[in-house]
Amino acid sequence: MTTNAVVVCTWSDARGDVLEETEAALTLARRTSTALGTDFTWLVVGPLPAEAVDIAQRQGVASLEHIEDPKAAAGQADGFVEGLTQYCAERTPKLLLFSQGFDVRLVAPRLAGRLGAGIVMNAVDIEASDDGALNVTASAYGGDTRRVYALAGTGPALVSLLANAVLPERVDGAPSPTVAPVAVDLASVEERVRVIEAARTEGPRLEDAEIIVAGGRGLASPDNYKLVEQLAEALGGLPGASRPLVDEGWVDSSRQVGLTGKITRPGLYLAAGISGASQHMAGCAAAKSIAAINTDPDAAIFRYARYGVVGDCLEILPELIRAAKQGS
Amino acid sequence: MRIVVCIKEVLDPDAVNNYALAGRLEIGEDGKSLTQTTIPQLMNGFDEQAIEAALRIRDAGVECTLCVVSVGADPSVPLRHAAALGADEVATIAPPSPEPDSHTVAQLLAGYIRSLGGADLVLCGRQASDDDQGVVPALVGELLDMPVVAIARAVEQPASGTLRVTRVTPDGDEIVETSTPALVTISNELGDPRYPTAASKLKARRVQPKALTAEELALEADALAPRVALTRQFVPTVQGNCEFITGDSPAELADRLVARLREDKLLA
Ligand SMILES: Cc1cc2nc3c(=O)[nH]c(=O)nc-3n(C[C@H](O)[C@H](O)[C@H](O)COP(=O)(O)OP(=O)(O)OC[C@H]3O[C@@H](n4cnc5c(N)ncnc54)[C@H](O)[C@@H]3O)c2cc1C
Ligand SMILES: Nc1ncnc2c1ncn2[C@@H]1O[C@H](COP(=O)(O)O)[C@@H](O)[C@H]1O
Repeated sequence: MTTNAVVVCTWSDARGDVLEETEAALTLARRTSTALGTDFTWLVVGPLPAEAVDIAQRQGVASLEHIEDPKAAAGQADGFVEGLTQYCAERTPKLLLFSQGFDVRLVAPRLAGRLGAGIVMNAVDIEASDDGALNVTASAYGGDTRRVYALAGTGPALVSLLANAVLPERVDGAPSPTVAPVAVDLASVEERVRVIEAARTEGPRLEDAEIIVAGGRGLASPDNYKLVEQLAEALGGLPGASRPLVDEGWVDSSRQVGLTGKITRPGLYLAAGISGASQHMAGCAAAKSIAAINTDPDAAIFRYARYGVVGDCLEILPELIRAAKQGS
Repeated sequence: MRIVVCIKEVLDPDAVNNYALAGRLEIGEDGKSLTQTTIPQLMNGFDEQAIEAALRIRDAGVECTLCVVSVGADPSVPLRHAAALGADEVATIAPPSPEPDSHTVAQLLAGYIRSLGGADLVLCGRQASDDDQGVVPALVGELLDMPVVAIARAVEQPASGTLRVTRVTPDGDEIVETSTPALVTISNELGDPRYPTAASKLKARRVQPKALTAEELALEADALAPRVALTRQFVPTVQGNCEFITGDSPAELADRLVARLREDKLLA
């Protein structure tokens, strides 16, 4: 049995995109395990997806493990924490790497508490030093700064990797991983938090959108958000928003882009009346291209933008809607 | 019921943002601290909302004792603000080192809550706006063996002892229930926190926060040992290569922007 391994932990999910985010974590884990000279394991909680073996192979995973117990599923925090505690007691991994998502924000820190383990969230990179210590670079102040944390000690270190921080890289010619189920005993676990009304997933997710048109406080009134929605529709994209619009109740919180909202990665992010605060950019800086409309030529958003339009978005958005509908 | 709210004093994130964008954010000689004395300290925004969540439970007619606690060098300003808002006790715990890690902070907070004889409800912010970690609340929950409900916009305490919490998830709101004692973290969707009245502010000026130490909380050095050490902090570069679109009218600007985006195959 392997000990001291670098373990990437993910849940399997009906959505393929969860696996896509996983590949970034697998790439970073492979680099770390190579630097440390330790084994590289991918632990999937839930049924093993059909493509997992292929993904594991192209990421150079040596051993693919899975915990089938439905009590450890995503959202079952007590079951997951207990299951992983048992796993860590048996395997004593060196590093447990998560791909940061909504559930991870809760269960990874809880697991750290249960294990008494060091943890770093919002990680963007890991470097292993010669003495085996892990130096984790993480985003702080909404992205204004990066902090480097040293995780020393014996117990497992827990790290949660920010979405879009690492580009997945494949390896050629790696052998097929060994595949093995891992048994955990969750018979005595009773979830203490009960879901009374589940969140209803509504339509396509911002995280998957190729085009996002986002509006900010520069729209000046809730009515004007319609322009953002109309342009998004005309371009075949989705509408997003900065946090003040959510705080003011103009739009639903599922539209919020940023540090505490959605972390997106569209081809095009068109921002209208958004200043470009770091906490907002944390959710869209990974876009391939950002186009920004702002009355202030010194607005921070132009630092991140590929294209800038200095002007009143209330005048330009209607014209963009017209131009978009005209076709090429 | 007893409600404990954990608050952290942080550097004003907007000021940090402005300095960073202007390329003038200063990192001290230790290579890790932000040293600008012109950046004010504030109560972490989500923590202000955590106090607000507690006050709303009180407003709803639930009789409660409200204790507000902060681990830090001298968080008396935000603690007096909490007192002015109606906290029955405000307490500060000196950290054993200037930069305690999440585990150390959580041990101190849990030690304080134990010293009170426990709490029915612990409220925290979803994350601190300096480190953005969102780790301390879960660690406190584990130490006190409380269920943790993260990222809430509403917390109701009906008479039954069951806590009803609305969580903000990426897929919309989720309503959950759990029994108390429990720990809940608050997100900005809770809404604006209230301000204290001028009279209560004046009265709170005289409040001296109860000052506690690790020894008084019966915490061993072992338990307080940090797991994570901050070694360096730096400002990442943002590479700007913005091409400004020019034109004489909104229509022209729009046409030119759309044309450029189509050339780049970003639009069909
Ligand atoms: C811990 C923490 C977490 C946060 N998380 C998030 C998050 O997840 N997402 C998020 O978005 N924010 C977040 N914020 C808030 C963030 O710091 C900013 O306050 C927010 O993003 C600003 O939103 P805005 O750009 O819409 O508004 P403002 O900053 O007010 O900017 C409005 C912009 O519109 C421009 N403008 C005005 N009129 C017009 C016009 N007619 N046409 C064109 N432009 C115009 C102005 O020049 C200005 O640049 C967070 C803050 C903290 C402290
Ligand atoms: N030093 C501290 N004193 C009191 N509460 C804290 C402290 N640090 C963190 N917290 C609480 O834990 C939350 C999350 O902080 P963090 O894990 O640092 O992101 C904060 O919003 C506070 O409610």
